[in-house]
Amino acid sequence: MDPGSDSDSLDEGVLTVRGRNKAARAKGVDPHNDKGKAKAKEQAYAWEANFTRSWDTVQEDEGGSLQGAVEELMARGRRRRLLAPAAAIRRTIIRHLILLLDLSSAMMDRDMRPTRFDLTLEYAREFITEWFDQNPLGQVGVVGMRGGIGERIGEMSGNPQDVLKSLSERHKLEPAGEPSLQNAIEMARSSMSHLPTHSSREILIVFGSLTTVDPGNIYDTLQSCIKEKIRISLVALAAEMKICRELCDKTGGQFGVAMNEGHFKDLIFELIPPPAQRAVARATGGGTTNPAADLMMMGFPTRLPDTAPPALCVCHAELRPAGFLCPRCGAKICDVPTDCDVCGLMIVSSPHLARSYHHLFPVKPYIPISSLDGAPKPTKHCHACSQPFRAQATASLADGMSSLGRYRCPDCSNDFCTDCDVFVHDVVHCCPGCEK
Amino acid sequence: MNNASHLSLILDLSPSQWHLSAAPSNTHPLPFKTFLSHVLTFLNSHIAQMHENSLAVFGALPGKSIMLYSSSDVSGGPEVPADSNAYRPFKLMNSIVARNIEAELELLETMGDEPPVALVGALTKALCYINRITHTTSGSSAEDSAVAADPRILILSVSPDLSSSYIPIMNSIFSAQKNKIIIDVCKVYGADTVFLQQAAHLTGGSYIDLERRDALLQYLVMSFLPPPTMRQFIAVPKQDKVDFRAACFCHKNIVDIGFVCSVCLSIFCSPVPVCSTCRTKFPMKTLQRLNASRPAVPSANGSANGTPRPPSKPATPMSASLR
Ligand SMILES: [Zn+2]
Ligand SMILES: [Zn+2]
Ligand SMILES: [Zn+2]
Ligand SMILES: [Zn+2]
Ligand SMILES: [Zn+2]
Ligand SMILES: [Zn+2]
Repeated sequence: MDPGSDSDSLDEGVLTVRGRNKAARAKGVDPHNDKGKAKAKEQAYAWEANFTRSWDTVQEDEGGSLQGAVEELMARGRRRRLLAPAAAIRRTIIRHLILLLDLSSAMMDRDMRPTRFDLTLEYAREFITEWFDQNPLGQVGVVGMRGGIGERIGEMSGNPQDVLKSLSERHKLEPAGEPSLQNAIEMARSSMSHLPTHSSREILIVFGSLTTVDPGNIYDTLQSCIKEKIRISLVALAAEMKICRELCDKTGGQFGVAMNEGHFKDLIFELIPPPAQRAVARATGGGTTNPAADLMMMGFPTRLPDTAPPALCVCHAELRPAGFLCPRCGAKICDVPTDCDVCGLMIVSSPHLARSYHHLFPVKPYIPISSLDGAPKPTKHCHACSQPFRAQATASLADGMSSLGRYRCPDCSNDFCTDCDVFVHDVVHCCPGCEK
Repeated sequence: MNNASHLSLILDLSPSQWHLSAAPSNTHPLPFKTFLSHVLTFLNSHIAQMHENSLAVFGALPGKSIMLYSSSDVSGGPEVPADSNAYRPFKLMNSIVARNIEAELELLETMGDEPPVALVGALTKALCYINRITHTTSGSSAEDSAVAADPRILILSVSPDLSSSYIPIMNSIFSAQKNKIIIDVCKVYGADTVFLQQAAHLTGGSYIDLERRDALLQYLVMSFLPPPTMRQFIAVPKQDKVDFRAACFCHKNIVDIGFVCSVCLSIFCSPVPVCSTCRTKFPMKTLQRLNASRPAVPSANGSANGTPRPPSKPATPMSASLR
């Protein structure tokens, strides 16, 4: 029950991209892992200055227990997330991401347990699962850097199972040799060159080495990435390198150096929520025409029952009973979302679209209630889970926290408890009082 | 089976639908009184199965939703006269549920027009409640954690789909899916609801449309009483065909090929120059291209194009059940 792991799991469903707010990130840092990276610790980099030691702020309560303090700390961390402006930003919903993994010998370093490589694989799998949960219409490909070349590990796919499968065979990914950033980025770039303009192109690099062996000038590669609007984000496991930071800064991505296991996970999981679309109105002269916006033709399939007679599918050419029918050409497809192999129509099921709607219609933040003086007769129980509210206010709480543990919806004026406040905003995305 | 399970029951308490359900013109009329006695028997058997089983009952009423009963907040309940022929906890629960329903229905009588039932409110409350009990048990002590294992939600529905609640219902379904909460649906009266079908399908629950409504209790006990861990050993009926087609935002028509805004994913039945949801303007080029490709749709469907058609094509009739 350490605060670090808890805030990780709460990163799911976060609506707001926190940008470079390192202070908010530092809450997820796991105290006991700090020593591991002592060698990289000289107060030279900005990210170290902002690193607040969350365990120093914990105070024991009267009974000598940390339980209350830990809970309060967690609640505060969650609360802070909710307080970020919930402005209606347009988000890129159709995303394409290449996960670029360093498979050089530097990944066998044991400064992260068990090794950088094993930890990266583990987090990559969790990342993929969560990424597809929040970006159901996205596609992910995997490229490795090993032996001086880029290696295609998993083709661009919209099916999490395919991507996870490509990451599941550890022995095929055994690190060796030197990495080449340029080769790998070029490979990732070429596999995204055919994509339509309304989708995002992103590269996430996990880089453990301190060197890169490139056949040419990597700045040429950087220039072409900028031209093709590819956003590069990089998480370094060793230390900051100038070229790495430049790749991210110039393409609008995020750069971070992982200080320990928990921080590493925070860094990559921060890239899961759909990014806000960059303000393009300025570029086109103030009009509302968004060059990244487009109208797409999509087909909604019919799902065949498991008891249907087996038929050949167009994707694997195998006889299978269940599947989906392309509404335009009638081809049978095993899984959605996908592009129809026969007529090229993008096929999605309506739940796939609906999964993204909560990013567009977020629940308004609840208002913390700290005194009941104005209300004629306050409710005794949380409107959602019926838990009784505490009658006595607790002292000394951070801004935005209610001393009564009471949060009121601005629309339906019902009161909710702390747990439900977080649960409604992070998971359900629907206010139980106003039903929207 | 050694794990206790939690059941959250959602009762659809739409007076007008229950009135229709009780009408003698039905093949198997089911008045609310009979329904309630079946349901209470079912709930009693859920509690009787295992001492640790927990239960919450929510009511979806026109325009509001309330918690009718929860086994964790039972203290301070009403006085129940002693009855030597009844097991006291059953009696207590039955009387609390019945009393609360009665009180709520009485409140309703003063209202004129009947708004649609607040199914979304009841569903989100059930989710929050499950979140609360799983949260507190894992926090306090490890040995208690079995209490909240295997949470599931059973919806006894009589009302039709409400198309305006599509997005909140889907959001609730996804959060249930994420927290591994199974949603079972029993359609007691009325036409199939597509949203609840999808809810059951996406969360791994079962959707049952009653054939013999007078045998409600039997359906409940045979299909919904076994906890999820037992389901793998029993053939619980699941529906096969799921309608995954979508309704357009502009006319609520069912479409199999739609035009989708890339910014907000709103669905339209024809190419539109401006998205009505997010006000994004679409490029002229796209509109021309899409308009040009549209008439080709039926002809592309008709011509063989050298592609062998899968033999199972006509297996599913296109039933437009989404309103
Ligand atoms: Zn296939
Ligand atoms: Zn097709
Ligand atoms: Zn609550
Ligand atoms: Zn509200
Ligand atoms: Zn329409
Ligand atoms: Zn739109």
